[in-house]
Amino acid sequence: MSGQSDLERGYRRLLAWYPRAFRRENGEELLAVLMACAPDGQRRPGLAASADLISSGLWMRLHPSVPRSAHTVLAAVRLMYAGAAVTTVSLIAAIASLPFIGHNAGRLRLFGDSQPPAVAITLGIIAGLVLIALWLWMARANGRGQNWARILSTVLFALVTLHLFGNKTVVQEVFVVMTWLVGGAVVWLLWRPTSNAFFKPPGRTHAGRRVSAP
Amino acid sequence: MQEATFMILTALANDSQHGYGIITDVQEISGGRVRLSPGTLYSALDRLRADELIEVEREEIVDGRLRRYYRLTPAGTKRLSAEAARLQAHAATALTRLKLAGGTAT
Repeated sequence: MSGQSDLERGYRRLLAWYPRAFRRENGEELLAVLMACAPDGQRRPGLAASADLISSGLWMRLHPSVPRSAHTVLAAVRLMYAGAAVTTVSLIAAIASLPFIGHNAGRLRLFGDSQPPAVAITLGIIAGLVLIALWLWMARANGRGQNWARILSTVLFALVTLHLFGNKTVVQEVFVVMTWLVGGAVVWLLWRPTSNAFFKPPGRTHAGRRVSAP
Repeated sequence: MQEATFMILTALANDSQHGYGIITDVQEISGGRVRLSPGTLYSALDRLRADELIEVEREEIVDGRLRRYYRLTPAGTKRLSAEAARLQAHAATALTRLKLAGGTAT
């Protein structure tokens, strides 16, 4: 009997890979199926089952179940993940090039003509991480049909627009323009008529599912 | 349409089923070839519900565990019919051509 509860605990831990909203709605049901599928006497989740749950959970986190009718929202969410990916790559490239520009100041011009001070590097890295977090946050919240996220995305896009002007190095300029273009496309998609229906229904989540009572 | 999706819709074609029932049914109708893992099944069910091709018919508590029964929506029935017809047409074409090939070979 204690073997059963060990197994259940193991599965419950693995379910943590799923988005919270999904767990709340389907967690108990999925757990029942997992327990039904487990052979008698199994004490903890097998390797294959663990890999299955982790990959499915992560997949679900990255691919919100936006109905096909709201394809513009899905496109926007994908673009936001792409934005996060591009920012991550840019940040890694920037960090990797740090020792390089120490010796070849001005050639790569990532941070300007000279080696930037440690404070500027730290701030740059923090800004990059914040930007990645914002992309991911907005992708998730918009994918769940949160109207405030759509508004906040638009405000953030306006802030990037303001950032277009001002002194920057060529690399920074390219990065900001790229972010602005992706952001612009996202905002345009989020406010298309096909997106409106997805964000509208008050008190309901996507696909007509009930929001569980508080 | 992915094979797993097609099989899940097929499992629900004439009656509602719960998660574990779908897994065993899909295994049976595919002759043991398609074994859905619970993770795959629930990703597919989530997607199908979002697309409004299936819906929850009822819920039961069996041995203290939640069991949810799914059924096709009218849109789901339409989609499965269209997909089945498409596959049937492809299969018919394949068989016809194989017969022709057999005819010329002999």
